[in-house]
Amino acid sequence: MKHIEVKIISKIIRELSHFLITHGFKNFQIETNIESKVTYFKITLDDLKPPLLEKMKERISRERELEVETYGWELLGDTDEKNELDVLGLLIDKIEFQKIGEKTRITLSRESRYKD
Amino acid sequence: MKTLYLKLKGRMMMPIIFLLLFGLAFYFDSLTNIYHGYLNILRSPSVLISDYLEIGGLGATLFNVATIMLINIIMLHQLKLKMTGPIFAGLLTIAGFSFFGKNIFNTIPIYIGIYLYARYQKLEFKSFIIVVLFSTGISPIVSFLIFGTGWSYWIGVPAGFLVGIITGFVLPALSAHTIRFHKGYNLYNIGFAMGILSMLYAAMLTTMFDFDLFTFGGDTNEAFHFELLLLTVVMSSVFIIGGYLANPAVFKKYPKLMRRTGRAVSDFIRDEGNDISMVNVGVMGLVSVVFIVVLGIRINGAVMGGILTVMGFGAFGKHPANSIPVMLGATIWFLLVPIVTGEEASVGLAIAILFVTAISPIAGRFGIVFGIFAGFVHIVITPFTYTFQGGFDLYNNGFAAGFVAALLVPIFEFLKKDVLEEEEV
Repeated sequence: MKHIEVKIISKIIRELSHFLITHGFKNFQIETNIESKVTYFKITLDDLKPPLLEKMKERISRERELEVETYGWELLGDTDEKNELDVLGLLIDKIEFQKIGEKTRITLSRESRYKD
Repeated sequence: MKTLYLKLKGRMMMPIIFLLLFGLAFYFDSLTNIYHGYLNILRSPSVLISDYLEIGGLGATLFNVATIMLINIIMLHQLKLKMTGPIFAGLLTIAGFSFFGKNIFNTIPIYIGIYLYARYQKLEFKSFIIVVLFSTGISPIVSFLIFGTGWSYWIGVPAGFLVGIITGFVLPALSAHTIRFHKGYNLYNIGFAMGILSMLYAAMLTTMFDFDLFTFGGDTNEAFHFELLLLTVVMSSVFIIGGYLANPAVFKKYPKLMRRTGRAVSDFIRDEGNDISMVNVGVMGLVSVVFIVVLGIRINGAVMGGILTVMGFGAFGKHPANSIPVMLGATIWFLLVPIVTGEEASVGLAIAILFVTAISPIAGRFGIVFGIFAGFVHIVITPFTYTFQGGFDLYNNGFAAGFVAALLVPIFEFLKKDVLEEEEV
């Protein structure tokens, strides 16, 4: 795996943690699965309110733009604002939401486009 | 007709702007004058501030602007890239700086360098399009090595091209890194990255080769003030009318756009739509006109470059609410200079009134008072960064803005006892 991909994955985890903590989540898990071409981030949350769910959908469900990624990915993880998901959305290919009982599972996937 | 309009809307009216500039070149000057003026532009060392209006005349300068725009528009078309905020900002910035420093000759080596970097990274060239479009701010290093050193062309041409290619090769990695330095509060991030490179080049050329870097540039031409002021008003109107035709209710969207901080990477076209982005671009052009007229600034190549850059970033982070405070801050020092020093404010300070909007996200995030203060600090720092970087970085204000943002943002955060404010969704 290319070093830049390693750095971006690490920053995505940091960004997600930051976003959840600033929105008041005290207990959450981010499970990361790095496969040969795709990396999955699975977040399980106890009480995800509908407005926040909608906001995450809107901000992350955007077309991935490699040209913005190469320019601005370093901004990830150093945020001081809650709206940073805008940049995150540009680095994620797909987002899925699944209700499991009282919990919500969010799965984000990112395909690596950096060749070794 | 409707299909044509939809195509123009999708391209943010750029074909109209290109045709306007190209047509005006031949309206203002004869073919012979344009030819000779254009040769003078190509042969100029092009360091800050090389006003192409002075070097080549109005017709040749507009021809230079239009041809560089055309080449980049064709490149974007060939790469099948859609019009986004950063791409639009890049195109108008290229157009702006083609009034004072960029030409077809000195920009190509830098593009080649970025292409080689993309090959090295095994990524498509278009992945680096943002860096590509802003990269040529450092193009004077190519012209200087060829035409400004006094070296024979056998040495100067290979040296200029080689340094241009190396510059393009390192720029994508460097600019991705420098954005962290100011946390996205400097919209001219690549200008900051290029300022660091320019500083290195300036140091090497002065200490190793004993060059005096400040013997070129400086003469500006304000004779076309009225024509260029009128051109700005016409272009601004084209954008505003274009946005209105796309959506007659477009102005209702303006308050939401103006609540955005504008911090990088804020793509207004993608997030808010073409219609309101076009209106904002036009309004930013008119805001520039108001400052120029009220302050009595005469438009030369550099000032025109500033206007077009401000308009371009109307799709990539700038709007009146975050730009006017920093412009007012810069205006304070601009007005104080004659009182404090007894001399007229320089062209460098005049263009800083426009280019200070690089730090508009500071006003967008921290408010009007902090924005005014940041604008004041910026205009005071700008002349010093120019001497650091030797004039090779045309985006000197971007270089200065990086330091201003890195200095002030942590202090402002501390003073505001930051309460993680959330933008309205």
